[in-house]
Amino acid sequence: MNYVETRLAKLARNGDRRAFSELVDLYKDKIFHLAYRMLYNVEEAEDVVQETFLRVYSNLHRFDENQKFSTWIYRIGTNLCIDRLRRRKQTYSLDAEVSESEGADWYSMLPSDERTPEGELILSETQEQVRKAIDALPEKYKSAVILRYLHDMSLQEISEILNIPVTTVKTRVHRGREYLRERLEKQTLL
Amino acid sequence: MNCKEAILFMHEYLDGDLSEDQTIQLKQHMQQCSICKTHYAKLEKAGALVQSLKPVGAPQRLTTAAIMAQLPPPPKRTAWLKWIRRHPAASIAAVFLIVMFSSFLAMWDNSDQLVVRVSEPDQIVIEGRTVVVPEGNTIQGNLVVEKGTVQVDGAINGNLIVVDGSYALASTAHISGEITKVNQAVEWLWYKMNQFFASVAE
Repeated sequence: MNYVETRLAKLARNGDRRAFSELVDLYKDKIFHLAYRMLYNVEEAEDVVQETFLRVYSNLHRFDENQKFSTWIYRIGTNLCIDRLRRRKQTYSLDAEVSESEGADWYSMLPSDERTPEGELILSETQEQVRKAIDALPEKYKSAVILRYLHDMSLQEISEILNIPVTTVKTRVHRGREYLRERLEKQTLL
Repeated sequence: MNCKEAILFMHEYLDGDLSEDQTIQLKQHMQQCSICKTHYAKLEKAGALVQSLKPVGAPQRLTTAAIMAQLPPPPKRTAWLKWIRRHPAASIAAVFLIVMFSSFLAMWDNSDQLVVRVSEPDQIVIEGRTVVVPEGNTIQGNLVVEKGTVQVDGAINGNLIVVDGSYALASTAHISGEITKVNQAVEWLWYKMNQFFASVAE
């Protein structure tokens, strides 16, 4: 399966647009899911999907065939999300934490989008709290947890995507897991 | 094993990185320590809750076609531009050849004017398009005739070069050098190149 993607990437590199559209087909939902979980905003997630494919497309000549295509595209997508999260932090006015609930800032109070993605149309109260808990994770742990739990990535793959050592990935997953446990415990979900 | 170690082991276990020996150690600790046992249960449940979130697909309006439409149009000349980038030496050689070839072609005169090059013009007679070296006359050096006929009755102490034309030698003719007849542009090119390299060699 991985061979197929590498082959498609090579074809696309030589100007085959149909091969590229097959890659878009294969990855647009995955990258959207990643971006939606990272940013919790439909429109921003859509932008990230679009930008990810734009970057993949214009950097095809840099794609290393010995690498998994999925690792490469996830790295591009994750970096775009992290950039956006950092830019959000810099806009100070919305950054102040809401006093009564720890970890939530004014962003989580904003209606992210009237249009909820299909997968989220019906969310149980528990799931809604879990979603918020993920959204409240510090950026460092967020990407590691999302890739680990929602994209079934191995620690090795995450280390390649985030370009950090496996031991660091471990630490981030561990801390993220503790953070979630603590928060969900407070909400008496555990 | 203390509780701090146990928590570290729990995470390793949840990541599938705990050895069998260590797993047994952790299990033994949790059998004795109820705090660690509940801690583990909570960590496991937290993970399971996160995994319970369903994958969210891209909205319907974000179709593959819509994404493709945002991509820049395929560059048209990239193929040979890429080739140039990959083969710089060959590209330079190709440009050099083109310049050389065009300068040779420029040298190749396409007009049908009769051209005669000779050191002693008084030794020849031109009748129409025919260059005649009359009997008894001697040319010191080369005689070059382009686009004409050469009739040699006398002597040439050098080479006779006929470009795009023909020549006739009388029995009295004497040519000490070589006779070269060039008719095609390619031959002309070859001749020029030979001349060039011969001059370089000298």
